[in-house]
Amino acid sequence: MAEIIVVTSGKGGVGKTTSSAAIGTGLALKGFKTVLIDFDVGLRNLDLIMGCERRVVYDFVNVINKEATLNQALIRDKRTENLYILPASQTRDKDALSVEGVEAVLNELAESFDYIVCDSPAGIEKGAQLALYFADTAIVVTNPEVSSVRDSDRILGVLQSKSRKAEQGESVKEHLLLTRYNPNRVEAGEMLSVDDVKEILAIPLLGVIPESEAVLKASNQGVPVILDADSDAGQAYDDAIARFLGEDREHRFLNVERKGFLSRVFGRKG
Amino acid sequence: MIRLAPEIFTRKFNHKDFSVSETTPMPQAVNQEFETRCFQFKSTRAALNELILSTSDTALLKPQLAEHAAKVPMLFSNMPVILNLQQLSEAPDLDALSSLLDLCRELSLVPVGLKADPDTSSELCRHLKLADFSHQRRLSKENEPEPSQPEPPAATEPVTPPVQTAPGAAKVITTPVRSGQQVYARGTDLIILAPVSAGAEVMADGHIHVYGPLRGRAMAGVTGNVEARIFCQSMEAELISIAGYFKTSEDLHSECWQQPTQALLRGSRLDTVSL
Repeated sequence: MAEIIVVTSGKGGVGKTTSSAAIGTGLALKGFKTVLIDFDVGLRNLDLIMGCERRVVYDFVNVINKEATLNQALIRDKRTENLYILPASQTRDKDALSVEGVEAVLNELAESFDYIVCDSPAGIEKGAQLALYFADTAIVVTNPEVSSVRDSDRILGVLQSKSRKAEQGESVKEHLLLTRYNPNRVEAGEMLSVDDVKEILAIPLLGVIPESEAVLKASNQGVPVILDADSDAGQAYDDAIARFLGEDREHRFLNVERKGFLSRVFGRKG
Repeated sequence: MIRLAPEIFTRKFNHKDFSVSETTPMPQAVNQEFETRCFQFKSTRAALNELILSTSDTALLKPQLAEHAAKVPMLFSNMPVILNLQQLSEAPDLDALSSLLDLCRELSLVPVGLKADPDTSSELCRHLKLADFSHQRRLSKENEPEPSQPEPPAATEPVTPPVQTAPGAAKVITTPVRSGQQVYARGTDLIILAPVSAGAEVMADGHIHVYGPLRGRAMAGVTGNVEARIFCQSMEAELISIAGYFKTSEDLHSECWQQPTQALLRGSRLDTVSL
């Protein structure tokens, strides 16, 4: 039986889709058969981040409306084995999704996949609620700023009251993924620290992804940043996946890197 | 032995055509010597609200009541009320009264009794299967809470404090109360063993205890209990309120910020005291 993971945040622009792409790819790299579903109907982005936008023929809504089969709509990732993408429809809106329709698709996927990663849209309305409704596990993506933390708190409340698990009296497993973290700005007092965010949200920390040029580069090239093993963000996502699968890894990129004499003289690329 | 507890206070909010008043009703007769196998009478002090109507026209009443219900949905959900008709210029007939009751039920109120003209009320109540509160004496002046001076009871027996409700009746929450969530402990205390996030609302008719940081809004004594208090391990609230008297985080910043704190009413002053 597949584990359903929702990547959610409440707030927009915090890195949900980037994180979904990295998490899905990371799980597939570890040998798990994984499918990434884009729930952001009308604002289709995941296919761009995954670099498969030219291969989209059918989408999630087509499958729900039985206009296409799941196999027709699933896009097999060219770089990573075991990884599939189910894109969102760009021409429809969130009303095209229904609980029954989503459930049917998830049930069918659960038969052959190990992990189903749902990339949630921003907000707390229908689209976001449907994305998290069937989740077993939630990865809450948060930026170290007060509005993002507040919205994450809100979505955690929604998770524990409006998900299927909550309705059955169980609880959804929660993980915090702190993205766009900049230790320099934390030290300068301009950004919330990891401890501040952990204190407010009171859920276990899965990983801290440093603010990195590699993320924007990867997005624009359509390559999940986790495949950029030289970058700090790529390594941080790799750590997060390892922790998700139960490995005990120390958190990195939390402190300001003290530049050595040589790098100060000659400059250094991050 | 029959005890009569004094009516502590009556509090009224006027709201155009109707007002809601909070009364502590007389407890039912207590008889502890009376032992039977099948049942036991026990006095209880359930908080009951009174819906005082100044019109019996449901067309006028409905939109205003519905608007009020929309503002405080948690208060309205299955709240028992006494329908007070004593301020109506003309007593409604049985049909009008039934449609009034239907309106209440439609808005999730549970009418349990009637206060009307004592001469006709018993007949009405018998038809409508409601309790008759019309003969209850008015013990306190209108709009003036009198917590310190309860009327002496009519009974000649010495006054004993009313029997407490069963221990353990408080509402206990063990998971974090997140932004956007509301928790309401009706008629009792609220105990929270987790943080209350900014943007969350916790309310109780009694006290509120938060064993964790209180960052959201806390409202104790929402139905007018001026004795209610708020306790928390770290005061970081957006707003605290007791029986309608409130303080915002601006005030709290200079008093007790991030300190273990209790808040209580002293007269009409909401005081914070560090623990």
